[in-house]
Amino acid sequence: MNRIVNINKNTRSLIHHNIRRSRYLGYTILISAIVLGIACKKVLDQKPVVDVDESLAITDTRSAAVAVNGLYNELQNGSYYGRNFQICSDVSADIAQSVGTWDFYREMDTYQVTSGNTEVGNMYYRAYRAINQANNIIARVPELTDVSETLKNLYLGQAYFIRGLAFFDLNRLFGGVPGVVGTLGLPIVLTPSVKIDESAFPSRPSLQEAYNQIEKDLLQALQLLPETNGDNRSQAVKGTARALLSRYYMYVKKFDQTLSYSNLVIADSKYVLNPSFSAIFDNKLTTESIFELNFNASDLSGIRNWYFPSANGGRGDLSAHLNYYNDATADPKDTRGKMFGFDNTSKIYYPTKYKLAGNLDNIHVIRIAEMYLNRAEAKAQLNDLPGALIDLNRVHTRAGCDPLVVAGQTAILAAVLQERKLEFAEEGHRFFDLIRTGNAIAKLSAIDRKNGPNVGLTAPGRQVFPIPSFEINSNKNMTQNDAYK
Amino acid sequence: MRILVLSLILFAATNLCAQDRFINGKIFAGTEDSVLAGATISIKGSKTAVVADSEGAFKVKVNGTNPVLVVEHMGYKKTEVPVESKSTINVFLDANPSVLNEVIVTGYGQQTRRTLTSAITSVSSKEIANLPQPNPSSLLQGRASGVQVNNNSGTPGGGVFVRIRGTQSITAGNEPLYVLDGIPLQSDNLSGIGLGGSVTSPLADINPADIESMEVLKDASATAIYGARAANGVVLITTKKGANKKAKISAGYYYGDQEATKLPAVVDGPTFAMLQNEAATNNGTPIPYPDPSSAMNTDWTQFVFQNAKIRNADISVAGGSEKVKYYISANDFRQEGILKNSDYDRRTLRANIDFSATSKLRIGTNVLFSRNNRGRLRNDDNISGGLEGAFFFPHNLPVYQPDGTYTKFGTFENPIAAVDHSKISMTTNRVLSTTYAEIDIIKGLKFRANFSVDYSNVQEDLYDDTWTNAGFSVNGSAQSIALNNINWNQENYFTYTKNISNHSFNLVAGISAQESKTNSTRATGTQFPSNEFRTISSAAVQTASTTGSSWGLASVFGRLTYDYDNKYLATLTFRHDGSSRFGKDNQYGDFPSAAIGWVLTEEKFMQGIPAISNLKIRASYGLTGNQNIADFAARGLWSGAAAYAALAGTTPSQLANPELKWETTKQADIGIDIGLFNDRLTFTADYYHKKTEDLLLQVPTPRSTGFESIYQNFGSLENKGWELAVTADIFRNPAGLNWTFNANISGNKNKILKLASPFVVYNRDLYRYEEGGEMYSFYLHEQTGVDPKTGSPTWADVNGDGKFDPNVDRKIVGTANPKFYGGITNTLNYKNFDLMFFFQYSYGNKQLNWNRFFLEHGGTRATNYSNSQLDRWQKEGDITMIPKMNAANYASDLRPSRFLEDGSYMRLKNISLGYSIPQKLLKKINVSMLRIYVSAQNLITITNYTGLDPELTGTAATALTQGIEFFSMPSPRTIMGGVTITL
Repeated sequence: MNRIVNINKNTRSLIHHNIRRSRYLGYTILISAIVLGIACKKVLDQKPVVDVDESLAITDTRSAAVAVNGLYNELQNGSYYGRNFQICSDVSADIAQSVGTWDFYREMDTYQVTSGNTEVGNMYYRAYRAINQANNIIARVPELTDVSETLKNLYLGQAYFIRGLAFFDLNRLFGGVPGVVGTLGLPIVLTPSVKIDESAFPSRPSLQEAYNQIEKDLLQALQLLPETNGDNRSQAVKGTARALLSRYYMYVKKFDQTLSYSNLVIADSKYVLNPSFSAIFDNKLTTESIFELNFNASDLSGIRNWYFPSANGGRGDLSAHLNYYNDATADPKDTRGKMFGFDNTSKIYYPTKYKLAGNLDNIHVIRIAEMYLNRAEAKAQLNDLPGALIDLNRVHTRAGCDPLVVAGQTAILAAVLQERKLEFAEEGHRFFDLIRTGNAIAKLSAIDRKNGPNVGLTAPGRQVFPIPSFEINSNKNMTQNDAYK
Repeated sequence: MRILVLSLILFAATNLCAQDRFINGKIFAGTEDSVLAGATISIKGSKTAVVADSEGAFKVKVNGTNPVLVVEHMGYKKTEVPVESKSTINVFLDANPSVLNEVIVTGYGQQTRRTLTSAITSVSSKEIANLPQPNPSSLLQGRASGVQVNNNSGTPGGGVFVRIRGTQSITAGNEPLYVLDGIPLQSDNLSGIGLGGSVTSPLADINPADIESMEVLKDASATAIYGARAANGVVLITTKKGANKKAKISAGYYYGDQEATKLPAVVDGPTFAMLQNEAATNNGTPIPYPDPSSAMNTDWTQFVFQNAKIRNADISVAGGSEKVKYYISANDFRQEGILKNSDYDRRTLRANIDFSATSKLRIGTNVLFSRNNRGRLRNDDNISGGLEGAFFFPHNLPVYQPDGTYTKFGTFENPIAAVDHSKISMTTNRVLSTTYAEIDIIKGLKFRANFSVDYSNVQEDLYDDTWTNAGFSVNGSAQSIALNNINWNQENYFTYTKNISNHSFNLVAGISAQESKTNSTRATGTQFPSNEFRTISSAAVQTASTTGSSWGLASVFGRLTYDYDNKYLATLTFRHDGSSRFGKDNQYGDFPSAAIGWVLTEEKFMQGIPAISNLKIRASYGLTGNQNIADFAARGLWSGAAAYAALAGTTPSQLANPELKWETTKQADIGIDIGLFNDRLTFTADYYHKKTEDLLLQVPTPRSTGFESIYQNFGSLENKGWELAVTADIFRNPAGLNWTFNANISGNKNKILKLASPFVVYNRDLYRYEEGGEMYSFYLHEQTGVDPKTGSPTWADVNGDGKFDPNVDRKIVGTANPKFYGGITNTLNYKNFDLMFFFQYSYGNKQLNWNRFFLEHGGTRATNYSNSQLDRWQKEGDITMIPKMNAANYASDLRPSRFLEDGSYMRLKNISLGYSIPQKLLKKINVSMLRIYVSAQNLITITNYTGLDPELTGTAATALTQGIEFFSMPSPRTIMGGVTITL
């Protein structure tokens, strides 16, 4: 009996003790909860780890320099010069065809491009991204206080150059060529986008106004850029601007200007025709190149992947048209005709201009060969036929061929056009060369296809791509090109 | 124990002579093994009432003559005990199987269904036991009304599409919030390796056998306590707990065989050659195969599909004493995919411990460690996948080339190379841990503090060896990603319960803070010494990058539940949430809700209708939010991921919107619960109307700004729907036949009310979002037929200009949303046999057979054909939807509606037959239960859909796309057998 009572006491005191302890514990929990409650606000204060606030983007020399590098990054993108621009041109012309699943290139190949075409949309967006990037630099760099005038000019010159290039490409793709096709240019955007207001919904200027803006930007770039900078080829310098101006004036048919800018570039000792054609693509940044986008293992280009068949480690979505292959290999001496592979399963020829394993190929935007052919064309147009032939043959013989003997302005112009086809295949020229010279409808007919009957470009309005559907949907001031209404 | 009882008797005896006397006792659940805490003991006819303590003990003062104790506890039968002359009374309560007494877990508390005012569907452990599905969310399919679940892929451990009462949002997330034992779960796909549309579900980390119940909170009254994350509904997962009982050891094992319900229906080699010739002839080009009948025939599907094994072993021990209750479990699950070299295996350990430190303080912890490994494949909208290869490779090609290499074809990967020579693995280590302390402060007032951590460590490795396209030209290609994600969550809340005569109050009030941080490192390598070297350290060319993100949420919440005599019910809920994701100007949001209920059967005027055992009507209204957007969506940002070769670069990445705030869903719900014949037949019906406003919309911006979109609070959409659930105890005879029938059906109508501008999504603009339209609307060229004269397709002229132009004559042809969906379950047992069969269905949804689009190409591709191509128009007078094979009829700019098929289906999802060994045999071997069973999943599917599986969606979960079969692994048919044993 005693034992029981004792236990009972013990139990009671234990319970008592526990109550006290639990109260103490309870208070501890309560207090810690209140402290945590105050700490709650801290969890709302999160900082981005990867990106930085826009206010910190361009503040000094270094941040301005990396923003300028970002310009080239936009050009490098697979949606633009990383592959898409060149492929759009080749597939839309008589160089390449779509043999895979990627319908968007098949649409171009068969001249059935829709406004929902993903690649057309990607191209459009990427070019405007480059323009917005340039606009940020153009707006912010002049206000920086720690940056020297020399550097400011270097940065701004590159920004104007890239803006001019991107706007030129946009207008070539979606606007047209003055006097040949198209009446409306692409919206001119000259200020950086920081918020969405009325200015975010621009309408289309006339095609001529748009081309005037390109000229203005390129001339501004020429004025600001230095003669030399770094390797002189992977980033814009004065020579790069002159070269693009040489090209630009052919589109607006000011051949005297093409002549004088080509002369300046050819006279520039930095740029020399590379004796071996294939070596231009085997190596990087040869003297041939005027504007060449640099790629490496962490920054891959994509043209090779799209042409190389899967058996050779590519995607194999595209191949050469058989007629183009025959054309390129007609002269057995022409080294350019050697740059093809054959896929035995699909029985197709594919170009091997871009061939570095791992897709490390650099991309050529402007080469010195173009200056010779621009000048040849300008001279022919200005009736300096012997001069034109000399320039043409500089490029033709470099490829290993015997010199051409051609007489008459028309024939020489045709020979230049043909030379450009062989020389610049897969470099994004052919479709636009045919359009600006008024040859597109005639030349782009009865083109052979691997998977289907011959195709041709019959509707003149389809020499431009449709404005992407997302732009028509999101911008009430936007106008569709006539052929796609 | 005996001593304690004795002392109590002694104590009581001293008071025996008094008029008022005290009765002591204990409350047990069923047997003496388990005490039951928290029962209410009242004296009949008086207002005296006490609550049993955590050890089930009570002491109550009685007076008067013939007093009667009335003992009540949630989930148990109300029991009356005459006191007579006893001074110690132990009461044994029987569990009450009535649905009304079913305990429903609510956010931060629990309630019986009797007093519930909100729309909550509960799925119990019994319903989901022994199903060969690792992902708990897919177990809800067909079992919970208002919950639409699509198994978008049959990939083991793959993603599941879950929508509670429709799709609330356009560009903020639509997945419900999952809360496991109070931990808001990380439920987003953590895989960083791009494999097409294929995603993984972290919910598969949880062992379904550990789940006691899943509650789906649907209306605003139920969800508003989760405020800013509740708009898409909340799924509360409660795991099993120990009890004051002797240890119960349970083990289960099953083993099964899985196979495809359907294989790709593609043509053989000679047929392929014949069709290619026909297309060439129609196109006027030379025929490619002069002798089609001589073509070889390689059946590619046999190289990628397999009979796959599945097996699962579970063991758990549950029990406890007055002080400590425990549930400990282990699980080993292995599932192979029906495509070769895909699998999922998971091992988990769980320990749920509850400890009464003192009579007032309870502490406890729930810990899950889960380690799982996925063997993955390229799949779902990925041209390099094995399944794609099996579809696309013509059967007239050999497997190998004369040089011994795999035959390559076009863009595609050789199917064998794809499944055998690309190794893609994902290993997840996950710890889910919550620790709590709960203290009784004064009578009725409790305080609880929870601290929980949800930690995932994910390691992904990919290696394409030199036999694959990706590895060929670079001598092997590898990728590795290591990711860490940690979520911590701290919650402190008070619960106060007070009964004043017939008024019962329950108040919950608290605060919480949560933070999530993720970081990951990715490395790639190419140029390996040989296929034996697979780690990136051996690669000659290497790259690496790191990334990370974070978000935080701070909240105050509260809920008041009131009932008057179980007759008039009301619930008020409130949450105030702050989120780091929103603009500085609008970081906080308020989410209130209110609900009322009226139990008519408690009214006098209903007492005379004995057939109606329960009749309750309820209504609720409230606001809930959605914050499921990118972590820094409100900020203006520049990205450093803009290098130019070796030069660092920056680029604008996002437009700022400092005004960005919550997306708010307003939901009204009315419901009725009916119980007939003593609740043997019950109905629950709900109608709801939800309107989501201030959509967190990625408003497409003109791309001329250099941006694709900006997050704005713009636009609204609505969901209106109804739900009906029926349960019936058709036969209830413990000695004979028992038959329970459950069925549910739900319908939802979605409508986009306001948008900044219409927009199209996905490749080829396959979906269009516009005002007045629905989510997941297919935007196609409506094909009206094929001209029997010419074989050319005929099209709807949408703009009425008298001609068909693919650029403008496109329209919304249908949506992936079902008109209604649900499930039917029959559970029967007779003596020792049990039989369950479960049908699940969806009606009125369209499914885009995009595989067919590629394979019914009319000769415009060099790839194989689907069998449907054989129904092509061939001669004048043919009536078919498949046009004459030529380039024009299959032009590249056509998106014909003939590929949009009726996706309605009904499935015999599960059927199982079990036999329990008779108790008298088991007693001899000390086993309390031993059941063996056989079961089958997806045994029968009734559908008009011609693809592999009507549930498939082969695009990424976030892509605003649904109902598109795009080379996804279908769900398997499984035949299995198993055994469960309890000691």
